[in-house]
Amino acid sequence: MTHRIRSIAVWMICCYGAYGVAGPAFSSESQDQRINVLEQKLDRSLKLIEELSARVRAFETQHSNTVEPAAAAENSPPEQQRLDSVQQQLTQLEDSNASRGSGGGIPLHGFADIGIGNHTADRPNFKGANIGAVDIFLNPQLGEHTRSLFELTFEVDEHGAVQADLERAQIGYQFSEAATVWIGRFHTPFGYYNTAFHHGQEIATSLRRPRFLLFEDQGGVMPDHTVGAWLSGAEHLSISKLTYDLFVGNGQALSSGTIDQRNGGIDHGGAIYGGNLGYVFGDTLSGLKVGVSGFRAAVSDDRQPGRLTRVDNAGVYLAYDTDRFEHLAEYYRFSDHDLTYAGPAHHSSLGFLQLAWRLPLATPYLRYERALLDQSDNFFALQTNGMSYFRTAAGLRFDLDAWSALKFELARTKNTDRLIEQWSDVMLDYTIRF
Amino acid sequence: MPHKYLNWILLLLLASNCSAAVANDLYVACHAGVPIAAADLRDVFSGERQYLQEVRLVPVDNLAAQPDFLLKVMKMNGVKYATTWAKKSFRDGLNPPVTLANDAAVLKFIRRTPGGCGYLSMQPPESVIVIGKY
Repeated sequence: MTHRIRSIAVWMICCYGAYGVAGPAFSSESQDQRINVLEQKLDRSLKLIEELSARVRAFETQHSNTVEPAAAAENSPPEQQRLDSVQQQLTQLEDSNASRGSGGGIPLHGFADIGIGNHTADRPNFKGANIGAVDIFLNPQLGEHTRSLFELTFEVDEHGAVQADLERAQIGYQFSEAATVWIGRFHTPFGYYNTAFHHGQEIATSLRRPRFLLFEDQGGVMPDHTVGAWLSGAEHLSISKLTYDLFVGNGQALSSGTIDQRNGGIDHGGAIYGGNLGYVFGDTLSGLKVGVSGFRAAVSDDRQPGRLTRVDNAGVYLAYDTDRFEHLAEYYRFSDHDLTYAGPAHHSSLGFLQLAWRLPLATPYLRYERALLDQSDNFFALQTNGMSYFRTAAGLRFDLDAWSALKFELARTKNTDRLIEQWSDVMLDYTIRF
Repeated sequence: MPHKYLNWILLLLLASNCSAAVANDLYVACHAGVPIAAADLRDVFSGERQYLQEVRLVPVDNLAAQPDFLLKVMKMNGVKYATTWAKKSFRDGLNPPVTLANDAAVLKFIRRTPGGCGYLSMQPPESVIVIGKY
């Protein structure tokens, strides 16, 4: 008897094993049939749920005048409770499916960072702990072609007061991959860094931006933001890609030692316009982008009403961004003219080189920055941080998880004209995104 | 048949059953009329390619098959994929693909969405275009 039972068990296991071997060979052929059968079952189930829901509603209508709701719940038969449960689950499923749609909800992203060091990242006369920025980022997609992008940043100024800045506010229409028109306030598309890295410092490898590329209210000397219109796009070639940008906007003004983007419009002065042309390599050089950019701006200032300085900028850049490396290099040349008092051109140059290696445990990086700025050029002379300088920096970035990183940087900076001074930075920054 | 041989046969059959369950194929499929090249899939799912001629591409992720897809097609892990999309969103204002729960949801989305593309752990029916099998 025992032997017979064992034999039956053995044959059953053999059949199960044989199905395991042969089953997949047949399963692919019958996938369509299975899906059709499942869909039919689903349709029948939905019809049954609808019928049951109708019966529940009829039942509730019939008893609503005679039974108190609480009493009805207590005395309801098990069948009705089951129907209520099914109806509730159906409602939850409908809600869940509705929220999954591509048009449902607005994705909210954000960044934040806190720093500590013997100097703060952008103000060498301050030290200790400091709140970097809390950056709220929204990019609701409003339809097939309309896109939008808003970046609201809360920062602490030198007096410790919280300032809210609408850093980017763009609404765009995407005709195709080759052409998207944006209007609003955007990052001026010169070089690579300014449009690749924004206010959320978490996505940048380094602890801070190159000094001359700091944002205007942090002491940067470039017009990082423009309020106007921007046409951008990309054209795929066989294994590579060509990118372009064209933009025009309100001419910036120099006000209280910083660049004012004139968000609300201009009452005098000129415009800024320019472009950027990039080539993205494919195949063996995948990750490499090279390009040129340039802009011209008519910049007014608050020192002498009516004065305009024409700022001409040309730049070249290289970015090699792969799983193992992030090497960046940019160089800019200024040739500026005082349009009110015609005189010689004022030439300035500035650039940086950053090398980073993405290793398993951390990403070490090195950076060298140099700015040689003509102090007789209104555009730089009227800026608080418009002096020449060089900076060398070495840093480490530790990715703690997908959403946070710890950065450590040692740097040496020297101002080489106006007020010659030098200092060293030892800084730590904890940065997150959400 | 001696019992010791029978036990070995049983073990082999059971092991083959388990291996058949693990070694699943992955199919990438798109809405009918969206014949994108398999070589472009990485660009499509990282937001680098958004259109095929006049058709706007709408990739969707499949929660159940995502690890397999990232490994076989995107050649990256989940952290890298999330970081790639964080940068893309921040730079270009694009949103990452919507994540659907399983094969049935992805298949339904692809069928009804012009430009829809997704991946499944089962062979899709002929009503959608199979771009590649991995």
